[in-house]
Amino acid sequence: MTLDRRLTLCAYALFIVAIFAVPLFVDEFGLNRIAKFLVYGMLGIAIALSWGYAGILNLGQGLFFGLGAYMLAMSLKLASPTSLQQGADKPVPDFMLWNAEPGAPTDLCCINKASFLWLPFQHQSFGLVMGIALPVIVAALLGIIVFRKRIEGPFVSIITLALVLLVRLVLVDAQPVTGGFNGLTDLASLEIFGFEFDPYSKGTYWLVASILTLTLVWTRLIVETRAGLVLQAARDDQRRVRYLGFDVSLYQTFFFCVAAAISGVAGMLYVIVAQFASPTFMDLAFSVTMVVWAAVGGRASILGACVGAILINMMEAGISETEALVGAWKAIIGLVFVLTVLFLPRGLGGLLHDLIGRFASVGRDKRRVAHVPMSGAAVTETKEA
Amino acid sequence: MIDVFFIGLSLSSILLLVALGLAITYGAMGVINMAHGEIVMAGAYVAVLSGIWLKTSFYVALPLAFLAAAALGWIIERLVVSRLYGRLLDTLLATWGVSMLIQQAIRLEFGLTFLGIHIAGLGSGLQNVAVPPELQGVVNIAGLELNAYRGFIVLVTVVLTALTWFIMYRTSLGMKVRAIIRNPKMAAACGIDVRKVNALTFAYGSGLAGVAGVMMSGFKGVSPDLGSSMVVDGFMVVVTGGLGSLIGTIMASGLLGETNALVAVATNDILARAVIFAAVILVIVLKPEGLFSFKRR
Repeated sequence: MTLDRRLTLCAYALFIVAIFAVPLFVDEFGLNRIAKFLVYGMLGIAIALSWGYAGILNLGQGLFFGLGAYMLAMSLKLASPTSLQQGADKPVPDFMLWNAEPGAPTDLCCINKASFLWLPFQHQSFGLVMGIALPVIVAALLGIIVFRKRIEGPFVSIITLALVLLVRLVLVDAQPVTGGFNGLTDLASLEIFGFEFDPYSKGTYWLVASILTLTLVWTRLIVETRAGLVLQAARDDQRRVRYLGFDVSLYQTFFFCVAAAISGVAGMLYVIVAQFASPTFMDLAFSVTMVVWAAVGGRASILGACVGAILINMMEAGISETEALVGAWKAIIGLVFVLTVLFLPRGLGGLLHDLIGRFASVGRDKRRVAHVPMSGAAVTETKEA
Repeated sequence: MIDVFFIGLSLSSILLLVALGLAITYGAMGVINMAHGEIVMAGAYVAVLSGIWLKTSFYVALPLAFLAAAALGWIIERLVVSRLYGRLLDTLLATWGVSMLIQQAIRLEFGLTFLGIHIAGLGSGLQNVAVPPELQGVVNIAGLELNAYRGFIVLVTVVLTALTWFIMYRTSLGMKVRAIIRNPKMAAACGIDVRKVNALTFAYGSGLAGVAGVMMSGFKGVSPDLGSSMVVDGFMVVVTGGLGSLIGTIMASGLLGETNALVAVATNDILARAVIFAAVILVIVLKPEGLFSFKRR
């Protein structure tokens, strides 16, 4: 085991211990807040996986987050008191009644033209399953089309960007079914086997923290499999990997789907913690903000991106308590982002790895270092060919 | 029907002014400039401020906004973009940071009180720019009643597009830009000062965006987030038209602007935008090089 690897392992262990130790020091209100940051940490992981490891800069990661969030929110909406007490024996979301046509039956099947889509969500398990399934299906379809066509670089980014904005517009436009601009509010708490996940409870925090830990470890493990190595090779030079006989699009699609699944789960956890789902999840600004977190933390480092997301949000929460800085926050984060891209392209995680590398290579064989610029030159050459 | 077409034409014109700058910078320098929308917004604020400070008319704001926006673009190019040539996605991210910075700076300066400076007549939120009386109302052309302001927008765009075409295809500077679009290294080897030409091109593209901002200030409230949707629309045009193709950008902005106007009349504004996004995704998937791109060798 190299020094870098040992220290990385320590960092993971330290992080996991830290997030599980938080409830010892923080009250329930604070836990709810930190749980949200942990959810953002999961989005950081998803971005690091698709951007850092697969080389796919997804500017629409919010699409998968939003889909996951809406799927679970639909189930929780139907379970909420506001839906149950609408005078019908079956639940009906309140916003559907507000703009129902006069004379329309107060029933989910036919209160408006598309309300039957809500019927299966009366079972909470359906919402839970769809929260992962729908993002993955969308990602798979998109991936098959885009990567089979060998579309790469900025074009993938623009497609994902256009797609998230497209879905957001449709969501807002389909107000009778989706709640439009207001999104879904007044949700019930998630209930699994009789245990109710109250958002302001330790139980919910444990849930979020354990899923984050699982995701973190699992993602780290799959990028070290053979498939993960092929993926990273394809990121550096697609053509060569293709010449070696690998079906690059298959690997890209798979990891794109994994990132989508992580985002979908993050969306569901967010709904559990924050108790609303809104079209703002699919704003362009939110999707790009995720990329900012990952870039500052380190795009090529799963833990780095995760920690980056959590730290930036903690800083934001801290700063918003100082009145003079509230307005300046966005400008500060913009500046930090520009400086990171200019001077620290691999983020804080990359900086740490570099420092460890320099520390470890003192007095060692330096020939390995000499290879780096050569392979870099080879990459630029093939790209221009 | 014809008035819908005319509305589409004026939409296309603004799109074109925004997209021309993006098309040149993307095509020539491989820079995805996400701060372009904020330059549009800066142009709109020049129109507001020149009315308040200089008490000049709307027409004076056009050259002023061009110069101010070009200067802003030049600063962005020198400070940020010039360090990132060859790193396409990084330019996208860094300029996104720049756009956040500019947008928030404007919001603090003109929205809240940040440095304690108050400008009379300029408060938080939306600003309106007075359009000269001769541009209000309608004009009669060949029996058609057309909105005069929209006509003015189309006219300015035609003039600026012609100017851009002239610079690109009839001057030595334009020849250098086109050489850089085809092959920057070879252009540099031929003795073209790529850095200088790039900075000039960037400034020129930004200037066009500034003029687009003035145009928008005439029929839309001016606010700090005026430009954020413009940059996305601009990119949709550039991608649809094909990289580095002036004709392609013109055709694509016409196509998207008209589609937007037609669908908006048939359904609503929200769905019209959704249709545009769907169309652009289709174009990228089916013809990633764009509808009107030149053949690359």
